Amino acid sequence: MSIIAQKLVKTFGEPPTTALHGVDVNLQDGEFVAITGRSGSGKSTLLYLLSTLDVPTSGELEISGQNISDMTSEEVHRFRNLMMGFVFQFHYLLPELTALENTLMPALKTGRREERRPFAVSLLERFGLGDKTHRRPGQLSGGEQQRVSIARALVMEPRYLFADEPTGNLDTASGDIVMRILGGINREKKTTVVIVTHDPDYAAFAQRQIHLVDGTIASQ
Amino acid sequence: MLFLALRYLLSRRRQTFLTMLGILLGTAGYVVISGIMLGFRLFIIDQLINNDAHIRISSREEPITEHSLDQDFFGDARHVFWISPPSGRRDNPQIEYAQGWFDRLDGDPRVLAYSPQFNVQALFRRAKISQTARLIGCDPAKQERITDIQRYMLNGKFSDIGQSGNRIVVGDGLLQNLGARVSENVLISVGKGNVVPFKIVGVFHIGMKTIDETTAFGSLNDVQKANLTPSQISDIAVRLADVGEALPLAQSWASTSRDKVQSWDQANSGMLSVFKTQDIVRNSMTLTILVVAGFGIYNILNMMVNQKKREIAILRSIGYEARDIILLFLVQGLILGATGGLTGMALGFAICKYLGTITVDPGRLIGGGGSMMISYLPSIYANGFLLAFGSAVLASLFPARSAAKLLPIEIIRSEGT
Repeated sequence: MSIIAQKLVKTFGEPPTTALHGVDVNLQDGEFVAITGRSGSGKSTLLYLLSTLDVPTSGELEISGQNISDMTSEEVHRFRNLMMGFVFQFHYLLPELTALENTLMPALKTGRREERRPFAVSLLERFGLGDKTHRRPGQLSGGEQQRVSIARALVMEPRYLFADEPTGNLDTASGDIVMRILGGINREKKTTVVIVTHDPDYAAFAQRQIHLVDGTIASQ
Repeated sequence: MLFLALRYLLSRRRQTFLTMLGILLGTAGYVVISGIMLGFRLFIIDQLINNDAHIRISSREEPITEHSLDQDFFGDARHVFWISPPSGRRDNPQIEYAQGWFDRLDGDPRVLAYSPQFNVQALFRRAKISQTARLIGCDPAKQERITDIQRYMLNGKFSDIGQSGNRIVVGDGLLQNLGARVSENVLISVGKGNVVPFKIVGVFHIGMKTIDETTAFGSLNDVQKANLTPSQISDIAVRLADVGEALPLAQSWASTSRDKVQSWDQANSGMLSVFKTQDIVRNSMTLTILVVAGFGIYNILNMMVNQKKREIAILRSIGYEARDIILLFLVQGLILGATGGLTGMALGFAICKYLGTITVDPGRLIGGGGSMMISYLPSIYANGFLLAFGSAVLASLFPARSAAKLLPIEIIRSEGT
């Protein structure tokens, strides 16, 4: 099981500007990979292509043996719901819901909210939020909100976790906690973790770094 | 998505409440206005149906046109040109073969009762006051079977008219205009007849000025005699078992008779066309209110879609599909529409109940007991709810669709990550 991308090209706008020039990536199951590069190097674009949130202009993407371009929209959504977790720089929690309810949002989609509730609580406890499960995002610090969003990404026990600058908005202490959590998940659950970061210290957490320069892979 | 939609609505209580209030007032307004208008209409129709005949058969009136007399003067001549064309009206003061009608009506199971009448315009005089009014000669027992006149008697009984003896029952407006009292005599002159004294034995109040001020009932014999035309019948008033059959029956009788046959709705077509205008006014007013409320929903949901772009992005990225997002916003509109519609119906019902208790006049002005007659037809409530619900669905559909069209990746990208 792995993610195999071949000759991924992504162009934007009119006239087209190319963000990625035929990138080949091979992610093995259980890997912890950091995509690094300067701002505008195409690292976020690569992450969104690998995570099926965006579609490549050309090139092939195969996840767990399935070619994404052969799947229907419904299958892709289901696949994302069950197999993938996302963590964004802006945590995007729903302000109307409590930390626990936010964590359970992916389970709500498949009608497994009650089934996943004990696991969601255990995740929040593990992330040091055991006493704050019923607080709303507005009552949590930035670091705590980001931990809730990681719990949300993990509640369905996905095989892949994609994180786009998960520490970008956090202070060093909170950033360290987030990175330790991601590392722990990767070790214990063998979840494939792909993060985008421009912080070399956090990139060093990863087993492998894919360094992008102007839309091509400079080193991996 | 109901869970999330409810949370969204509850987190914006003020906005939600104000939008719902708009729908609520729109629905309540519709229910109240319709209740009053239809109530009044039912009252008027009830008056028209129950105080006059369902079908009135009357003597023929024939206007004379340019070629009406061609046949009489020139036989089969094809082209007749008049220097001064004939004009005028050929009236028949009586129904020519009344007995034929009686036999026909007696044998028709759809006819509940009928009352032969002799109607004339008469001059009523008391001391120096004179007043014209319609004097209806009838058999009181038969007349009571075709109308509810006894119900509207303020003084005396309708049957006091009797079969003869020059006794009349008058409308209270006419009584007042003459300055007369019950048991007094008034002098009545009809057409070529002599001046005849009649005794007022009763007073009625139907609630329609046009009737109360200009109508008096006497016995058929007395009126025929006063007009010097014994045994003439000018009208036959018919009551049917089913008033809904009035129009087709009148049309079918009219086609086989030379007399004039009119159903109550034909006779009052002017009044009924006013109701149509009322309907247009009522519906357009309500539509305006609901369009405003609908725009409220549209604006709020549209704003919400813009504010919630990030959340829509995250929902889409964790596996929620476009149709889930449509549902999320549509359900909010449906909840607003349904609660606003239901509470609006309840408020409208309560206001109608209250209005029903207001006494308009100590007499019997509008409806029974002097209070306003309000209609509680289920169709008013169903329409009100459907209008509210429909406008809410329509108003939320557009923001919902625009929310579903948002691509998560574009939102995330535009947020600057």
